[in-house]
Amino acid sequence: MKIRVVSVLLVVLLSLSLFAASPELVSAAKAEGKVVVYSITSRIKNAAEAFQQKYGIEVEAYNLKGFELIEKVSKEVGSGIVGADFVIAQDGGRVFGELIEPGYLINYIPPDMADVIAPDQQNPLMLSTITKVFLYNSETYTFPPATNIWALADPAFKGRYFFKDPFQEGVNMNFLTMITREDWAQKIEKAYERYYGEPLQLTTENAGYEWIKRVLENGLVLMKSDTTMAESLGIRGQQIDKVGLCTYSKVRYRDTKNLALLPIMGMEPFAGFYYPSYLMLVENAAHPNAAKLFIEYLLTEEGFTPWSDSEGTYSPNPNILPYPGDNGFNVWGNILVGEDPEFLFENRIDVEEFWNEYAY
Amino acid sequence: MKKWLNRLASFFSRPEHLILVVLLALLVFLTLVPLFYIGLDTFTVHSAEARRIRGSQAGDLTLYHWNYVFFERASKNLFYKPLLNTMLVSLATCAFALVVGGVFAWLVTRTNLRFKKLLSTLMLFPYIMPSWTLAMAWLNFFKNSSIGGAPGLFTGITGIATPDWMAYGFFPIVMVLGMHYAPFAFILIGGILRNMDANLEEAAVILKTSRWKIIRRITIPIVMPAVLSTFLLVFSSSMSAFAVPAFLGGPVRFQVLTTQMFRTINGVNPGVGYILAGLMIVIGTVILTINQILIGKRKSFTTVTGKSSNISLVNLRKARSPISITLAVILIAISVIPLFTFALQSFLVAPGDYSLENYSTIFWTGEGSPDIASGEPGILKNKYVFKGLWNSFSLSLLVALFAGTVGILVGYAVVKTRGKRGSNMLDRLAFFPYLIPSMAFGAIYLSMFSVQRGFIPSLYGTFAILVLVGTVKYLPFASRAGINAMLQLGKEIEEAAMIFGVKWWKRMVRILIPIQKPTLISGYLLPFISSMRELALYILLVTPSTSILTTMLFQYNEKGWDQYANAIVLLIIGIVLVFNFVINKVTGASIDKGIGG
Repeated sequence: MKIRVVSVLLVVLLSLSLFAASPELVSAAKAEGKVVVYSITSRIKNAAEAFQQKYGIEVEAYNLKGFELIEKVSKEVGSGIVGADFVIAQDGGRVFGELIEPGYLINYIPPDMADVIAPDQQNPLMLSTITKVFLYNSETYTFPPATNIWALADPAFKGRYFFKDPFQEGVNMNFLTMITREDWAQKIEKAYERYYGEPLQLTTENAGYEWIKRVLENGLVLMKSDTTMAESLGIRGQQIDKVGLCTYSKVRYRDTKNLALLPIMGMEPFAGFYYPSYLMLVENAAHPNAAKLFIEYLLTEEGFTPWSDSEGTYSPNPNILPYPGDNGFNVWGNILVGEDPEFLFENRIDVEEFWNEYAY
Repeated sequence: MKKWLNRLASFFSRPEHLILVVLLALLVFLTLVPLFYIGLDTFTVHSAEARRIRGSQAGDLTLYHWNYVFFERASKNLFYKPLLNTMLVSLATCAFALVVGGVFAWLVTRTNLRFKKLLSTLMLFPYIMPSWTLAMAWLNFFKNSSIGGAPGLFTGITGIATPDWMAYGFFPIVMVLGMHYAPFAFILIGGILRNMDANLEEAAVILKTSRWKIIRRITIPIVMPAVLSTFLLVFSSSMSAFAVPAFLGGPVRFQVLTTQMFRTINGVNPGVGYILAGLMIVIGTVILTINQILIGKRKSFTTVTGKSSNISLVNLRKARSPISITLAVILIAISVIPLFTFALQSFLVAPGDYSLENYSTIFWTGEGSPDIASGEPGILKNKYVFKGLWNSFSLSLLVALFAGTVGILVGYAVVKTRGKRGSNMLDRLAFFPYLIPSMAFGAIYLSMFSVQRGFIPSLYGTFAILVLVGTVKYLPFASRAGINAMLQLGKEIEEAAMIFGVKWWKRMVRILIPIQKPTLISGYLLPFISSMRELALYILLVTPSTSILTTMLFQYNEKGWDQYANAIVLLIIGIVLVFNFVINKVTGASIDKGIGG
């Protein structure tokens, strides 16, 4: 009995201390008075607002595109300019080689989070897992208009498939690279047979490349922004017959912008892809303590609110539950293509070259 | 030795010599040296490319980029097709601008058109507005849903879906650039028509030559040099246009050299981008040098005096009112409708729904919530917008101050030492930045100043580099104004003051500058307004904390947050128009008197 009380007390104490930044850090952060963050997710501005109100520390939050962030950080730190204190970055392939390896970005794990977050998500530390899934207009269709990725390469779908420009956002190029890996290529080949009932005649290296090529030749529409894509897909009253591989969290515009959007979870052989976003300190940060405090804050339930308020973004902190009505990441992870840093490092350039040949 | 020192001392005792030497050194450092570094950059492995060029390290020398641009499988899409597109767009833009501007100029100067003054003023409007605002207006109006984005106003009103070729790519780019540069053709050709000796036409009329023959055999040959000059200026301007093809060509993957340059320099292969920049510099320099030679020749025969004043105007007869009214309606539409669509779009919540309950001020004064544009506060409550506004404004002000002042000094030094070799060199060097396409100019400064060079620390990410690049890029406007102003002044004025022992700076501030105030002020105004609406020059050099309004606008547009983009466009146009108007009223100078851009 006594032991139980003590253990309960311990747990309570632990959980209290878990998400409370140390007083030293808070006062050091307050002394710095300001923090600058470059972020690939625009919702950082809401978190910044909340953080500023809670701690009275001024936040400058800049929302950059993936390639811009890499370019700016490497140029700034490389030439000794003080810019961001910490970043929320994506596109692991490039971030590892161009920012982490030269020492521009430094991994920092808040002491309280070391036991909470799974070890494989700590280096580099993840802010979230982001999913991109095939979306369609649920006003036009009661059932998904396509359930096999080969439908998107079929003449019936000419000009009806939206994809984000992979040079604007590297994670899309990572996805294209991943599907050329042998295991995915085989699944794609099988999917072809199931769709057409005959074996795939290859004109390229494997079925992954083949799909990329045929989709491109089928009037693939490249988009610069997921917001635009979501709006173009989901608008009501226009009988939109498109399918787009779009950031799933954009379905949050459903009500405010009156969009009809649903994911195609049953798409064969995958329903989309996912990628991590990383939280990292910048080497020459002017406000390192405020940055550490903000990083810690973003990993708490409170700090993650702007992201947990919708589908499609999943925190590595197991105490933060997915948005009500959304599946947990364990469900999504099984039907989406993930990133393999090593494979990307070796092969992405080849896929970029391949893409260059057909796309522009 | 002593004699030599003495000569040196006496040479530098004259302020114009000192200014000449200092400016020459500065401009060589700021315009010629960067060219060397950009050349070097095309042979260097950059950190982003180390993975691409197998077995290399950042900083190594390589021929990879040159090979990749010209001889690889990807070259076709990377270089040859964009080059072809650039050439076609520029040619078509020239044709459009020349026909529209030329016919308009002829109508205004040679016929009894109604409301000439109003029409001439309206015609300048598309030129005063930044070209990319017309591109955005085009999208607001004609975009269709077949390639992303909710349908535009045109479809919203008529219910007719616009075809892709009309909404995106070649056609709209040419229309927008053509409309933007048509006023330019109008100014140049109209100027010649107005000033040319009408006796030739009169003589032909007396000899009962037909109207058509007069136009064909007399008018056109005389305006030919102006046409050619317009052609070259419009060609080089549309070649270096970035925002318009980026906005209108992007959705259908229509690439031109500038968009490829932006993509590669900002992306994974800067070396390739620097090669494209170099090529554009070469083309730009060749074209505008040809133009300079032509202008030089023309000067010698257009200054005809004692021209006949009462030229007989072509009577448009019955067509007079219809033509005048149609022109007025079209021009008012082109000037007003874009502003109207910006305002409209900036209040629209759900895209493409033009019903009344869909309007909201949230994008102007809202606090921002995650489910609308990801929590971005409305632009009147947005500290980042204010920062961008402040940056734009102070940047343009500083650029104007520096460029304008250096321009005066250039004018003084060039005119006072006229005939000497140094004078000619300074004149050319100060004009040189004009020959370089804006984005390429930004690229060479990126290449030059992103690392420490001698005693100059790395300037990347600082406000100073923006001021520097803007000052040098717009120096040609100011130095033209400065040289013209000083040329018009007789030597006696300054010499009289010198005899009385008036110090140099006092002679400048109290005598020379006040006399030529209007011309010199235009040397300040043009850099200010040009900088205020500039995107391509700065976009490679800004960092988040030095963002300016135009680069923010570009980002909003890329993110698809059209309402914010449209609201910022209104803000920029407002500032540009107000400044142009105020200064025009105060001094008589105006951006449309500039030399293109």
